Amino acid sequence: MPPSPPHPAPAPQDASGPEHARGGLLGRWAVRLVEMAGRPALTVLDGIEDVGRAVRIGGMGLANIAIPPVRLRLTIRQMEFIGVQSLPIIVLTSAFTGAVFTLQSHRAFALFGAEGMVGGTVGVALTRELGPTLTGLLVAGRAGSAMAAEIGSMRVSEQIDALEAMAVDPINYLVKPRMVAAMLVLPMLTALFDMVGVLGSWFVGTQVMGLSEPEFWVRLGEWVDWDDVWSGLFKAWIFGIIIGSVACYKGYYTAGGAKGVGIATTTAVVVSSVAILVSNFFIAWALP
Amino acid sequence: MTAPPDAAGAGCRDPVTGEPSGIVFDDVHKAFGRHHILRGLDLRVPRGKLTVLIGRSGTGKSVTIKHVMGLLRPDTGRIWVGDDELSRMDDRRLQKVRLRFGMVFQHAALFDSMDVFENVAFPLREHTRMAEGAIRDKVRGLLAQVGLHDAEDKYPSELSGGMRKRVGLARALVRDPEFLLYDEPTTGLDPILAAAMDKLIHDTQQAHPQLTSLVISHDMAAVLKIADKISMLYEGRIAHEGTADFFRNHDDPLVKQFLTGSLDGPMKV
Repeated sequence: MPPSPPHPAPAPQDASGPEHARGGLLGRWAVRLVEMAGRPALTVLDGIEDVGRAVRIGGMGLANIAIPPVRLRLTIRQMEFIGVQSLPIIVLTSAFTGAVFTLQSHRAFALFGAEGMVGGTVGVALTRELGPTLTGLLVAGRAGSAMAAEIGSMRVSEQIDALEAMAVDPINYLVKPRMVAAMLVLPMLTALFDMVGVLGSWFVGTQVMGLSEPEFWVRLGEWVDWDDVWSGLFKAWIFGIIIGSVACYKGYYTAGGAKGVGIATTTAVVVSSVAILVSNFFIAWALP
Repeated sequence: MTAPPDAAGAGCRDPVTGEPSGIVFDDVHKAFGRHHILRGLDLRVPRGKLTVLIGRSGTGKSVTIKHVMGLLRPDTGRIWVGDDELSRMDDRRLQKVRLRFGMVFQHAALFDSMDVFENVAFPLREHTRMAEGAIRDKVRGLLAQVGLHDAEDKYPSELSGGMRKRVGLARALVRDPEFLLYDEPTTGLDPILAAAMDKLIHDTQQAHPQLTSLVISHDMAAVLKIADKISMLYEGRIAHEGTADFFRNHDDPLVKQFLTGSLDGPMKV
């Protein structure tokens, strides 16, 4: 005979009940003080739990790469969704980012007659920082939100339960293809961002601000080396892992119907954007 | 794998139908926080028969069915599916047990991104190496069986609630499961569609005599028509079990109140 389950714990006494009232004003203030102090602590704990769960989901997704089936078709479909469908927004944003950065830096460098440095400066900024970071933020907003919404609506409509009931691992079927696709596509989009950004910079620098072609390209070639490009692509790879993990985690743990899906979508974008910006600093610090 | 004991395990005969038990719950407890849902559940689902689990909303019927699939694990107690004891099984072995099941979800749980054909073919594509032609024949045969031969290109959003549930049934049957679970299959359907679904459940059982079915339902009129065995869940335990005739003629106030839907009785709203 198995042991009896523990009886439910007695309900905690209501803080506003008669027992507490006898404690008087001082007691009530003490309780309120503890509550106020406890709330941020709980928020921090919730945040840590969130990070832990996202890392776990992402880790399981990555570990599943070694577990068959390969899910090639699903991965390609996700790459098409995250990558190909993001092309217009990436091209547009990168062209104008390169253009406006050139415009502003030309004005600044003109103050001490160093306009020739514009090409190199913009090149380094794009490849090391702007390319990966802005690509990450754009993909988080466009594809991360959609991933969280799709998995979240599958959760609330019992489609994930149905996968489990059919002996299909939802991590293998849903998370793995999205993680792999995000990891592969983010560096590709970043490389495109860098190239189109440089072209935008070249156009404004040479056609609008009057820089000569050699002035622009020679500095760019001297200042930007392959380490800058690789470090930007490495960051983009990390951002892909972050976006995949956060979006899949937020979708996978969605609860509460349509409202829950909405919350999951919004928080997926906010959390992955903040995580990209914070991790960007630490990666930049760690990399040469 | 632990051999089931004679008194409680899958080898024992069901007292109501006399058939060997296919699914056995032995003193199962499950709590979520302070909510103690299953309080010593003893349930036997006989092989090759259709058992209906009835009970008020919130009494743990869906929790029970999730335990059968291994989607939830009991806090204490044991659960057998055939000769396999689920309670202490690891996830890899649970996956193998799940392959013996089909499940019809309350809201069908069809995949939005796939059409009807792909939904039904999904378990075959995931778990078998059947040729495309064989998959096509099997899926079309099942869709015809549930009366949806002309809907294979439609997406779930284009189907009515009744059609979705029939597709769900076809998907559950596609791998010829040993066990078929229905989670409130007629909830949300109008009386005519509900009657059609009940007939389909009954016909499916007749067409697959080896199938062990467990249905969760509130629809008492249908339950009395289709069930080989009825188990009544009350306060986390089986309060009564028997055939439809047993329930029709039972004068226990709990049974009478549930059958008549009366507000007066031991069950309070």
